[in-house]
Amino acid sequence: MKYLITHRTVYHYSSDVALCHNEARLLPRETSWQQCHPSRVTIRPRPALSVERRDFFGNRVLYFVIQDIHQQLEVTVATGVRVLPTRQFTESSPSPSWEQALAALREDPDPEIIDARQFMLDSPFVVAAPPFREYAAPSFLPGRPLLEAMADLNRRIHREFAYDPHFTTIATPLDQVLAERRGVCQDFAHLAMACLRALGLPARYVSGYLETLPPPGQPRLIGADASHAWLAVYVPGVGWAEFDPTNDCMPGEKHITLAWGRDYGDVAPLKGVMTGGGSHSLEVSVDVAPQPEEEEGRLKVVNL
Amino acid sequence: MIEAVSLADPNIPSTPSNTLIDDYPIPKSGYDEMYAAPGVLRSHWRDLARFLEETGGEELERRHAEVQRLLRADGVTYNSYGDLRAAPRQWRVDIVPLLMTGEEWSVLAAGLEQRSRLLNALLADIYDQRLALRQGWLPPELVYAYSGFLHPCHHALPTGSRWLIFHGVDLARGPDGVFRVYGDRAQSPSGAGYTLENRIILARALPMLYRDAPLRRLASFLETERATLAKLARHHPENPHVVLLTPGPNSPVYFEHAYLANYLSLSLVEGEDLAVRDGRVWLKTLGGLRPVDVILRWVADAYCDPLELRGDSLLGVPGLLQAARGGHVALANALGSGFIENPGLAAFLPLLCRQLLGEDLKLPSLPTWWCGHPDDRSYVLAHLERLVVHSILPDQPRWDGSRLDAAARARLVERIQAAPHLYVGREMLPLSTAPVLEDGQLTPQPVMLRGFTVVDGDGYRAMPGGLARVSSGLETLQAAVRQGGISKDWWVLAPTPQKHVSLLRQSYGPIFVTRDGNDLPSRVADNLYWLGRYSERLDGTTRLLREAFGRLLEWEQDSTDERYLDDLLDALDIPTPPVAESPRARFFALRQALLGPMMDADHAGGLRIILDGMLRTGRAVRNHLGDDSWRLLNRLQQRIQELPAHLGARQARELLEENLMLIAGFCGLNNETLPHHQGWLFLDIGRYLERVLRTLDLFHLAFITARNRGVSLWEVVLTITDNLTAYRRRYRSALHPTAIIDLLLFDEDNPRAVGYQLRRLHRHIGRLHQASSSPYRSAEERLILEATATLQLADIEALANLSPNSTHANAELSRLLEALRRPLLELSDALTHSHFSHAEVPRQLIAMQPQ
Repeated sequence: MKYLITHRTVYHYSSDVALCHNEARLLPRETSWQQCHPSRVTIRPRPALSVERRDFFGNRVLYFVIQDIHQQLEVTVATGVRVLPTRQFTESSPSPSWEQALAALREDPDPEIIDARQFMLDSPFVVAAPPFREYAAPSFLPGRPLLEAMADLNRRIHREFAYDPHFTTIATPLDQVLAERRGVCQDFAHLAMACLRALGLPARYVSGYLETLPPPGQPRLIGADASHAWLAVYVPGVGWAEFDPTNDCMPGEKHITLAWGRDYGDVAPLKGVMTGGGSHSLEVSVDVAPQPEEEEGRLKVVNL
Repeated sequence: MIEAVSLADPNIPSTPSNTLIDDYPIPKSGYDEMYAAPGVLRSHWRDLARFLEETGGEELERRHAEVQRLLRADGVTYNSYGDLRAAPRQWRVDIVPLLMTGEEWSVLAAGLEQRSRLLNALLADIYDQRLALRQGWLPPELVYAYSGFLHPCHHALPTGSRWLIFHGVDLARGPDGVFRVYGDRAQSPSGAGYTLENRIILARALPMLYRDAPLRRLASFLETERATLAKLARHHPENPHVVLLTPGPNSPVYFEHAYLANYLSLSLVEGEDLAVRDGRVWLKTLGGLRPVDVILRWVADAYCDPLELRGDSLLGVPGLLQAARGGHVALANALGSGFIENPGLAAFLPLLCRQLLGEDLKLPSLPTWWCGHPDDRSYVLAHLERLVVHSILPDQPRWDGSRLDAAARARLVERIQAAPHLYVGREMLPLSTAPVLEDGQLTPQPVMLRGFTVVDGDGYRAMPGGLARVSSGLETLQAAVRQGGISKDWWVLAPTPQKHVSLLRQSYGPIFVTRDGNDLPSRVADNLYWLGRYSERLDGTTRLLREAFGRLLEWEQDSTDERYLDDLLDALDIPTPPVAESPRARFFALRQALLGPMMDADHAGGLRIILDGMLRTGRAVRNHLGDDSWRLLNRLQQRIQELPAHLGARQARELLEENLMLIAGFCGLNNETLPHHQGWLFLDIGRYLERVLRTLDLFHLAFITARNRGVSLWEVVLTITDNLTAYRRRYRSALHPTAIIDLLLFDEDNPRAVGYQLRRLHRHIGRLHQASSSPYRSAEERLILEATATLQLADIEALANLSPNSTHANAELSRLLEALRRPLLELSDALTHSHFSHAEVPRQLIAMQPQ
């Protein structure tokens, strides 16, 4: 699938901002299943300096600094992205049992497995604890293949949790999400990750977008015109498999990847530190527009 | 070999019986630094032992007391965080140095240098290729679970730059005589400043011992550090601007930051003094932004940049990491270098040394087992009673396995098993002992050393000596000294006597030349201004109190008119005590009321509150005050904070009298020591603005609002301003209000007169640096002009008839005082607005800290 993604953020301040340093993770990363055209970045007022770099996780980061006095900051990033239907997994793909996966993670000196081990550890937003392990237990039955177990957990979160954008903020602790059985995509991704980490399995957080135009005859997917988030679990010997608990699916061509990390904190789309400004209000709009393909037939492929 | 050099002081008669050294109770086991075995003095201690013996315990105690007095006078203390009231912890220095032979030292120094090279190589790898992880030399859990590993610091330095510039290493000698490393410090390797200060003070107290002693001097190490810092600059290699970044006066080791900044001739700055613009770091000064090339950083990694690191930090500079990444500013040490403080690394260093350097590790670490590895974990759990268990995370408790009861032990085992990768077990070795002077006797005490290295060319260079301290081996340096630890000077002996290089002469002198003027940080100007105001406020309130106690005593003796005491209480903002039954009861009530502002720590406007303000602002500009001023401020603090529990009126008066001399000394020394550039201008403006406001208040009280107006109160005004003599000499007559008004209001040559004070303020404000080149007067210039003109245009005819009963003249005076007061009050805000612009603190766009 081919998309044009336009992500616009506007901050309004109640008083002058004299200096503002910012970091944006709004440039989609290239992967084996995702190709990106050069992004068009519009920042107003014009930054005195902007520099792109790769962070620790390989995400694209745009650092910019506004040195003119301003009361409004606008950041718009437009990127053409092609998502290929080449993500390897379905939930019935063969995978080792989750206990075998644990053993491989402990013992296998393969550099890729060593690299995945960092995602088993607690991170600021996702701290493993016994309640998450207990919640995961009915899905992670003895000897069950890892992908099958995770798909079951994914389904249970989707079924048992209410999507409620008014319930949580970035700062809502995960045990409260678990207790109240409600939250948004970011909470569900964090929750599934906490379950995996509590079992000793590596999980990473993925930020991105989701095409929400419903194909004829299909139900409308939640997360319309906003940033989206899901997670990936590492399957030893196979690689990272993605799951979207908000929509009970494995991401395919409609999921556009921006960045990944240990949790939301590593991939926040826009952060900044300013001098002055008083109080501020925020406006965000995201548009995921499907683009015509050279081969018309490809538009009809649905990967669910 | 060590030459036999006589260290004996010929002026001190030798004691008849040699007891000091002979009575030294050599420990039965372990390694003693002075004695190899009973009766076998190590040869390199011979000369020092002879000196101690000849000096004798009694004289040594006297010298010891002298050392502590010098330390206290210099304000060498560890502060408790944010608490001005808590008595600063005394940093005690033992006068018996710890000796090490040159041979032993060169082996140790080679080990330290190698360790710095190794840890630098590890940092360069871990924040870039991560070969150590991919090759399995280091387990990922030990790296990534450690909070000192900072993901944003990945590629935080331009290729080829050095991560570790300055490195502190904690060491101790075990029972086998072998040195082992207990810990590494990269973020704020405290101790080098204390080492210097110890050496200087001991040399002052024991000149005979230190002059021409065969010991390696420290100066060249510090010179290397200064040269290395300068070489880190990319932009102005010929004249780089190097600053020392401190968390500020609330840091427990602020003394050391100020001391080192002075010694190395660096600007002492706080995060809010700096800003990142155009990818570079700038110092906000009165004269505008000045580029910074190198930052000697004493703020912990995570707090240095609220954009990429801890968003809740108020100590850092937004954008600093990006500026470093771009190579536009060099940091010593680089951000992220706190990674090497991980105690679990010790278990992997021998392998890492072979792999990264191709060498065998020369200096061993304390035997360490990382519980993330199953075999090591089993070992730790099986040998808990012999080990100390640490969390690898900073600021976590430690468990001494030999002291745990069964329940505590079970809890610890549970902790370890829940997250084994977070724990290490370390073998507990007895530390070597060294003689420490206690009550005129030498006693053996366990010692720990902190050594230092600094980049020198392509390698590192170790400081010949360092900080030795009495230690249990468990606590950290900061904890030890915060609790009032004992430190020792660590000598590395040289084959021949070494000239004593006067560190003091090197360290003082150029500092004011470079610091004052337009490049003064605006935060410093702000603090100097308030230091001036508080010191004048302390003077004024002390004078009022002294006068009140004096009158109280006179009244007690002569039963003269005492009603104006009520007016003095008003001036001091003390409520008048209720009418008393007898003169005696009234005396006690008044005395009690007057003692409030002296004794009560929370009395609004009282001496202790004012002193707090002086200390807070004074500490923030520690580097701008002369050492003698600083000593006076310390004296003043002791005298105001450490009062006897019961104070009589006479005693109180005497105390206040002496304090006035100290305050006068403090202000006078500042006048005589600080060059009269921008910094001093702010200090002086603060003082005179405070004085003129107080003088106006005093007039207002004496002539307008007093309950008992008249001669007695006028006399009080003259004594409080110390102008009674001036009045008598000028008029040789009884007191006349018009004459007093002329002497204290209009006179432009009397420093106690409003006229003089306004003229002085006017002149100073005209000299302040103005940010814009506008042809118009600044707000503060307009305000002082308004006050000056008001005074000069006052209706002198009307005021000439001033008497307690002349309503017209009183109304005219009242109007004049108010017309003077208003622009002067506004002046303070105008100064703040024009010059102290640092006040605005950067904030996050979105609060990013998870709860």
